[in-house]
Amino acid sequence: MTTLIIVIGFLLYLILYFTYGKKLESGVVVASDDNEAPSKRLYDGVDYIAARKEVLFGHHFASIAGAAPIIGPALAICWGWVPGLLWVWFGNIFIGAVHDYLALMASVRYDGKSVQFVATDLIGKRTGTAFYWIVFFLLILVVAAFAAIVGNMFVKTPGIAMAYVLKIIAALILGVLLYRTKLNFALATIIGIAMLSAAIWFGYLKGIPASYNTWMWVFFFYIIIAAAIPVNILLQPRDYLNSWLLYAGLVLGFLAAVFAFRGFEIPAFSSFSPILLGGKPTPFWPAIPLIIACGSLSGFHSLVASGTTSKQLAKESDGLFIGYGAMFTEGFLSTIVIVSIAGFGYTALQNAGVTAEQLNFENWGAAFTKVSGGAKLAAANLFVQSYADMVNATWLTFIPTKIVKIIAGMWVASFAMTTLDTTNRLARYCLSEMALPLKDKATGLYNFLTNRWIASVIPAAIGIWLAASGNWLIIWGSFGAANQLIASIALMTGAAFAAKKLKSGFAGAAVIPAWLLWITVTCGILWFVIVVQPGAVAAKPGPGWTVMIILIVMLILNFIFFWDFIKSKAYKVE
Amino acid sequence: MGLLTFIKRILSDFDTSHRDSVSALTGVEVKELENIFALLLLGSFIGLPAPPSFLAVELMPFMERELKVLNRRAQDAGDMLAEMAGTIGID
Amino acid sequence: MKILFFTGKGGVGKSTMAAASAWQLSQKARVLIISLDPAHNLGDIFGVTIKNEKKKFTKTLFLGEVNLQKLSREYLEQETSVLSNTYSYLKTLNLDTYFSILKYSPGIEEYALLTSIEKTIRDEAGFDYVIFDTPPTGLTLRFLALPKVTITWIERLMQIRRQILEKRYTIHRIRGTLSSEETILDYREEDDDIMKRLKKLHDNYHTLDRTLRGSDCHVVLVFNPDVLSLRESERLVEGLRELGLPLRLLINNKVTEANQVMAEHVERRMKKAAGEVLLERIELSKTLLDGEKGTLYDIRERVIPDSW
Repeated sequence: MTTLIIVIGFLLYLILYFTYGKKLESGVVVASDDNEAPSKRLYDGVDYIAARKEVLFGHHFASIAGAAPIIGPALAICWGWVPGLLWVWFGNIFIGAVHDYLALMASVRYDGKSVQFVATDLIGKRTGTAFYWIVFFLLILVVAAFAAIVGNMFVKTPGIAMAYVLKIIAALILGVLLYRTKLNFALATIIGIAMLSAAIWFGYLKGIPASYNTWMWVFFFYIIIAAAIPVNILLQPRDYLNSWLLYAGLVLGFLAAVFAFRGFEIPAFSSFSPILLGGKPTPFWPAIPLIIACGSLSGFHSLVASGTTSKQLAKESDGLFIGYGAMFTEGFLSTIVIVSIAGFGYTALQNAGVTAEQLNFENWGAAFTKVSGGAKLAAANLFVQSYADMVNATWLTFIPTKIVKIIAGMWVASFAMTTLDTTNRLARYCLSEMALPLKDKATGLYNFLTNRWIASVIPAAIGIWLAASGNWLIIWGSFGAANQLIASIALMTGAAFAAKKLKSGFAGAAVIPAWLLWITVTCGILWFVIVVQPGAVAAKPGPGWTVMIILIVMLILNFIFFWDFIKSKAYKVE
Repeated sequence: MGLLTFIKRILSDFDTSHRDSVSALTGVEVKELENIFALLLLGSFIGLPAPPSFLAVELMPFMERELKVLNRRAQDAGDMLAEMAGTIGID
Repeated sequence: MKILFFTGKGGVGKSTMAAASAWQLSQKARVLIISLDPAHNLGDIFGVTIKNEKKKFTKTLFLGEVNLQKLSREYLEQETSVLSNTYSYLKTLNLDTYFSILKYSPGIEEYALLTSIEKTIRDEAGFDYVIFDTPPTGLTLRFLALPKVTITWIERLMQIRRQILEKRYTIHRIRGTLSSEETILDYREEDDDIMKRLKKLHDNYHTLDRTLRGSDCHVVLVFNPDVLSLRESERLVEGLRELGLPLRLLINNKVTEANQVMAEHVERRMKKAAGEVLLERIELSKTLLDGEKGTLYDIRERVIPDSW
């Protein structure tokens, strides 16, 4: 079954890339190599440099890939394995990848300006400003979500913590090798990989035991420091090591999934509204985009696509491969995740002590989330265990399970942790833009907010505090909400672009998903605010209210955006 | 294309891709420094306290790239959120 | 070669003193005297017209006048033509507008002045004494300050430039050969035109700075026995001290019997301001007192001490 799903997924993506994708290219975007791409037309050797499409694909994919395509699908198992898979497949093909592709091409037609700029141009200045606000909240929430995930992982499997700490040291050393001693690149790479392997080996031997709260404090200081030092010291070499980790994880996972030949042991469909967020029944629609983001649809991708990728696109016809194709690849990654948990998750839970009475096919929807959380095998931990078991079930079983667990755990941890300090850097920038109106009216407050350290501490502190509060399913949901709100605005912008500027006949392929998405996201957030959050507020007022306020502010921004959108008549196909 | 050539091509793309990403942020830093260099030198023309303008005149003939950067940055400075997001490589 | 700078407020007789020194010194040595003062009294004092850079007055005395405006204009034109050629394809900068503004930009005049001084010092090593008659106080202090200020700026720019080259080198090492489409950027200090230029400028200014503060450089301050002159002279002393320039002689010019008291008062104040500096008194020549036109030959006192 595992193999079957993998193959079907692969074929599905492949076929629809060449049919639906090509139709998008010719019918909606009307991509033509006669239009010279900005990388050629505005070539300045600075930002506008044409890159070969394979290389650019690598960059783009590396920028959008991370930990989220793993966590989301793992949570969505509460619906059974089919609903999540359908969203990962069809949500990706018809909404998510379209969103990525349109954001990229709109930017290309706008001389490489970002989707934020395009939105400001087509819809209004308030929409452009809203980006700063929503992205800021998104950044805080992603810090909270990822810190909690990694914290839980470190507590459950201390070996991962050891491996990670050693990896940081390896990154520092690699940085010195690459940038100070100017060692030969290939040689430095080999040393780096060797150090990485050693780190994993050490993690296998010994772990770092510490409590969840201890890790929260460690992460807090890690963020502040990592975001303050020059990028050559830690950030760049660390990201490089991560990419090798990604390859290892992908290759291993792909091989294992294909050769596992295992049947699925969890229900295909449990119920429409299983218990998930905040202990409440969570309806598949409209909540699924909030749960599964990257891998199916993610607003953040529009920023990446229109930020750097568009300026390096060599020709318009490369756009489909990069914008659309990279998203498909991420979807495929999520497919592997679902397959591994569907095939091995239940056994893993049973091995952790869960009985058939506690969790079975009948009560799957009602019990899964609670039981897996109780067994400390939720989300990332569940994935790590399932992945390890999957590898174990194939000819790759010669690799010690614990090492596979550490590799998988490191994969998730590395990508999650790198998000922590990079978001902090970005959050500082957003904060200074958001505070701009205060500059003349409340100079003292403005100076306070834009002080280097204060601006760094505020998002980190709120994020870690939310993570420490423990109710991370709520955090994950609200992170999803913020992310998809950006996606919604970006897709609406892309649709407006197709309708207004391109005047293409097939614009419906952009406009319909845009409307569907907007309605879904709005309903999703409303449901969240009305049904879920009050429970969280009652349980823990501090973090509960914080999240509630963030959600409400985003909701207000959403409606303002919608008002501006209607007013600008951007939706009219001319 | 023969299988061997195909594999070689993939490996070489891999290599280029890695080399690019490891130096990408340094590249961003260089651009910003060039921007700053140009600003300091030519700043007197937009009201910044600047070195004696004869320095600017002396060095101008060699500052083609720096002026390009200055120009590009001046245009893009208001649209940096997406670019920074893509460059730093957040998830 | 010894360099003498004659400074002082306008009208104190600075040019005359300079001229007298030149004449006296030229009895025993080769002397070149250059007037930087826009007022251009030198020619009048010697009773000749100085049109070119150097006019031979006697076998051992040469005269020169610097036309500041012409100098600035020439300097600008030279750089303008280089820029126009290099940037003819840059459509973003409107070059014409830029250069008309340059004419008024602060610093061009001072720099032109400094360049001509530096050039003179470099080129006229054959002389035993080079005497400069400086322009009024403000301009003088500004251009004397130039080397130090400029050196600081150049060093700072060099620092940034070095960082840029260093990082470019890192990128080059990692990325290896770039595709043919990309421009190859300099990353070695020997190749980078800007760095080379900065270094050359730095050396020039450093040399000039050292010369100006060295033992072969003497600054002479001329003042009159009156309060107005005193105030400005104190300012000049202060300025010279801040710049670390060697003030070695004070001249109290146009002393008469009538202003003796004032002369002494002013001298006391000047000694207090300047510290251990030689002070001389030059009396107003009898010819001038009698109302007739005097010449520099009427100055009987020895202006420049023999020890110099």
